Amino acid sequence: MPTKNVTEERLSKFKNKGKDPTKLRDKRITECVELRKAHKDENFLKRRHITLSSLPDEEALSPDYLSNDLVKFLSIEEIIKLVNSDSRESQTRGCQAARKLLSQERNPPLKEIIDAGLLSRFVSFLSMDDEPTLQFEAAWALTNIASGTSWHTQQVVEHGAVPAFISLLASPMLHISEQAVWALGNIAGDGSAYRDVLIECNVIPALLARICPDTPVGYLRNLTWTLSNLCRNKNPFPPLSAVLQMLPSLIQLLHLSDKDILSDACWAISYLTDGDNDRIDVVVKTGIVPRLVELMSHAELGVLTPALRSIGNIVSGSDLQTQTVIDAGVLNALPKLMRYPKASVQKEAVWALSNIAAGPCKQIQQLITCGLLPPLVDRLKNGDFKTQREAVWAVTNFTSGGTVEQVVHLVQCGALEAIINLLQVKDAKVLLVLLDAINNIFMAAEKLGETDKLSLLVEELGGLDRIEMLQSHDNETVYQAAHKLIEKYFGDGELDGVKVEASDDAFVFQSPDVTRTFSF
Amino acid sequence: MFITDIRKEFYEVVANQRVALLVASDIDALCACKILQALFHCDQIQYTLVPVTGWQDLGTAFLEHKEQFRFFVLINCGANVDLLEMLQPDDDSVFFICDTHRPVDVVNVYNDTQIKLLIKQDDDLGVPSYDDIFRDEEEEEGGDSGNESDEGSEPSGKRRRFDEGAVERRIERQRARREWEARRREILFDYEQYEYHGTSAAMVFFELAWVMTKDTKDMLWWAIIGLTDQWVHDKITNMKYVTDIATMQRHVSRHNHRNEDEENSLSIDCMRISFEYDLRLTLYQHWSMYESICNSCYTSCHFKLWTLNGQKKLQEFLADMGLPLKQVRQKFNSMDMSIKENLRDVIEESSNKYGMKDIRIQTFGVHFGFKNRFLAGDMVHAATALLESTEKDESDSDNFIKALDSLSRSNLERLHSGIDLAKKKLIAIQQTVASCICTNLILSQGPFLYCYLMEGTPDVKLFSKPMTLTLLCKYLLKAFVQSTRNKRCKLLPLIMAAPKDMEKGTVIVVGIPPESETSDKKNFFGRAFEKAAESTSSRTLHDHFDTSIIELKMEDRSKFLDALITLLS
Repeated sequence: MPTKNVTEERLSKFKNKGKDPTKLRDKRITECVELRKAHKDENFLKRRHITLSSLPDEEALSPDYLSNDLVKFLSIEEIIKLVNSDSRESQTRGCQAARKLLSQERNPPLKEIIDAGLLSRFVSFLSMDDEPTLQFEAAWALTNIASGTSWHTQQVVEHGAVPAFISLLASPMLHISEQAVWALGNIAGDGSAYRDVLIECNVIPALLARICPDTPVGYLRNLTWTLSNLCRNKNPFPPLSAVLQMLPSLIQLLHLSDKDILSDACWAISYLTDGDNDRIDVVVKTGIVPRLVELMSHAELGVLTPALRSIGNIVSGSDLQTQTVIDAGVLNALPKLMRYPKASVQKEAVWALSNIAAGPCKQIQQLITCGLLPPLVDRLKNGDFKTQREAVWAVTNFTSGGTVEQVVHLVQCGALEAIINLLQVKDAKVLLVLLDAINNIFMAAEKLGETDKLSLLVEELGGLDRIEMLQSHDNETVYQAAHKLIEKYFGDGELDGVKVEASDDAFVFQSPDVTRTFSF
Repeated sequence: MFITDIRKEFYEVVANQRVALLVASDIDALCACKILQALFHCDQIQYTLVPVTGWQDLGTAFLEHKEQFRFFVLINCGANVDLLEMLQPDDDSVFFICDTHRPVDVVNVYNDTQIKLLIKQDDDLGVPSYDDIFRDEEEEEGGDSGNESDEGSEPSGKRRRFDEGAVERRIERQRARREWEARRREILFDYEQYEYHGTSAAMVFFELAWVMTKDTKDMLWWAIIGLTDQWVHDKITNMKYVTDIATMQRHVSRHNHRNEDEENSLSIDCMRISFEYDLRLTLYQHWSMYESICNSCYTSCHFKLWTLNGQKKLQEFLADMGLPLKQVRQKFNSMDMSIKENLRDVIEESSNKYGMKDIRIQTFGVHFGFKNRFLAGDMVHAATALLESTEKDESDSDNFIKALDSLSRSNLERLHSGIDLAKKKLIAIQQTVASCICTNLILSQGPFLYCYLMEGTPDVKLFSKPMTLTLLCKYLLKAFVQSTRNKRCKLLPLIMAAPKDMEKGTVIVVGIPPESETSDKKNFFGRAFEKAAESTSSRTLHDHFDTSIIELKMEDRSKFLDALITLLS
């Protein structure tokens, strides 16, 4: 039957009925990834607020510190002279002065210090185990230089800082070792390339060796952040072997209570799960999912955001992976997050929901049982636009994978009215997804033989007017989708006129088929 | 931004351009529009006129015209919201806004490129200073690294380690910023708390015509009507009205002076504007004295005509004036000339005796030729009645055009039909006021009075229109204040609701400030309505340019009111 072919073709083209939920999810993932990447790039430009080092304060830790007043405001020239001198004391003073300049808030002279040729000196200071103060000052200065742009980081690495810092990790002086952790974090955070350079140099065992029961919290915070940077970035992902090395420690960190540690550890997990199903599997197999679900209800936004992101990533995986998350009770945690005061959290929560709704009807049934439809409809109506967009996806996924009864239930919860109200948005992509949802609902009605009733309902809710309006939408695909809906479910003999008007070849080609459907 | 030289920065910019005129539905806006149209005709500037009744309308009108037009003139709409946020225009669209709505949204005030406010700055605007409400983001983020990124966003890939001192400075700065933000909220709250109105749009455009020496008597008359509209619909304080009347009077004498030497050449269709110290009796020159007294708010409230006693007092009053009842009840036009001659003095004398000290009011009248004489206030009533006509099922834009027509002296027939409608409307208002008072429909809800017109009340359709309902509201509150003995209630504001759209099951809700001689006419209901709707998630439509007029789903009425009571108590 030609009708069927056309319908099917159409379905698999921009709808999930032709199904293959994995494909559907993939599509969503790439889209999200793109968004997230853009977001990340933005973030790179900014710099994060300082987390205080665990070091209580500098004076206490380096008793042989020179008094602040003595070193303040030395010029670069003076610093060069001091650093290049032969006296340890002068070197220390120069190094500290440089560090001070690099630690001021406004316009730290990263490039000036590099151009002054001081980096090789600084790196050489790192290995002077008998001069801890000098070591520390150099490590701090290099840390700050590495915190700049990629070019700045590159200068640090090319002066041989990586092996020096890795050996420094083993320093008996805690504050020096911690500074090395921080510097390595900055290098790893630069991108995949340096991240893998560090991994090649065996940074991971050296880092993990520092985790022990009496490691101070501040140190652990820095260390967790550095680990998260080692999990971060794609194209390529970090090597699987490295991930497997880090995971047990990350899991261990996830069971601590410090919010900063939890936050960075969760971010690390979110990076690891932001990939294909095999990558997700590695994480799920550790059994950490229940803890992640638990952290979704954490009081701190900084913790629940990455926990939610990780869970969202996992439910974009296979049905089995999604089921693990459902079994861990995610459906009880989501409603609260969907009403969270911060819109970005709502959006992520609904995004996760939309991916669960893309699952088999058994999982859809669990959505219904756990009462997620009312909050979903509520977000559809009252969420900010990004949240609404995810909610629309959720409805479309739901209607394409759900049973007829499930779809009817969704309509009864008010989703149809909400969808129709959204038909006035401008975004063409969203419009297409909306029209898909409406089409899906009609197909469910068709199975019940209640198409006419639904047409009437849609018209009463003002949907017909809006769909008719969309026929004059700039976007060709939107126009076609709207047109087909009208023709199929609201048409009455207007068809001939329409055929004449249509200039698009594909459309003229298709319309006779649709006519036949209609006459059935 | 505010425009200081309206001629250079507005008129000369749009000359030789095509302009879209988006005009709100009120008489001042119509008059402003007439003046601008006359100027545009004179200089052959092409324009398209689009009447807009609310925000949605405005949005649609903009969408429909944004391709063809770069310049938009908004009359009596657009100033009190962040317009760019709402319309999302391209960077090259420019909006000239001449709007009486206050407070002006601060973003509109401080946008220098796309928003040009044709608003007199000597109006008491009280706009917060820029530094108090805006901060250059760069100052926050650019200069110092380690920007305080939002909690909950992804951590940065790299971090610099700061001085200990820097940390303290940062904390100090954050504290300062939080304080600044708290202060900003407070300032904005104070600024946006009340809604009120500024100088008439018609007067603003008249002034433009005047500085270009292109002002005509017609324009002057429209400016007067615009100002009078603000007085009739109780939008400005007495003080402001008197001041602006004085301004207009100077223009009137200038124009009259100009014609003095041509006295003999006055033709039959000429136009004369004169300052009058006339009676506060609505439409009396087009009605009978008796009907006008019965249906004018001032006299009707004073006598309490809805009571038997009041009717008696009215008879006594008429007797006191010594006017034969027959004369009083017949058409004003047909009254004896001898009576008409010093009618105003006679009425004033008796009124003073009866405690109506303000029966006279400064206003203007116009003569078209020898036969037709109109008072500014009566013109306002006639045009409003046309604008909100419910006679036939005509569209808003039909009514708009009719009302606009009635303002031209070439279209006296239209004006007379408006006068007839206005009479019907005034009678309906008086009857509704009487029945509301007599059946105790006004309930004290604690922080405000509340009155709901049920479906099926006579003339209820008339009161689904915002201006008519507002007028009813004002008359009713005046009447209530006169009739109640409860001193506390006299000081309360009033909220009225009337059926709007039976099919959709909505009501229109209007809130007005308390009635008093010295009232500053500032209305706080706009904010309150928004808050109450938000907290109860009532289904409301805040579409009207006056934020104190909203639409509400019938079923949500009680929870909305409850929230309002809690909010205002």
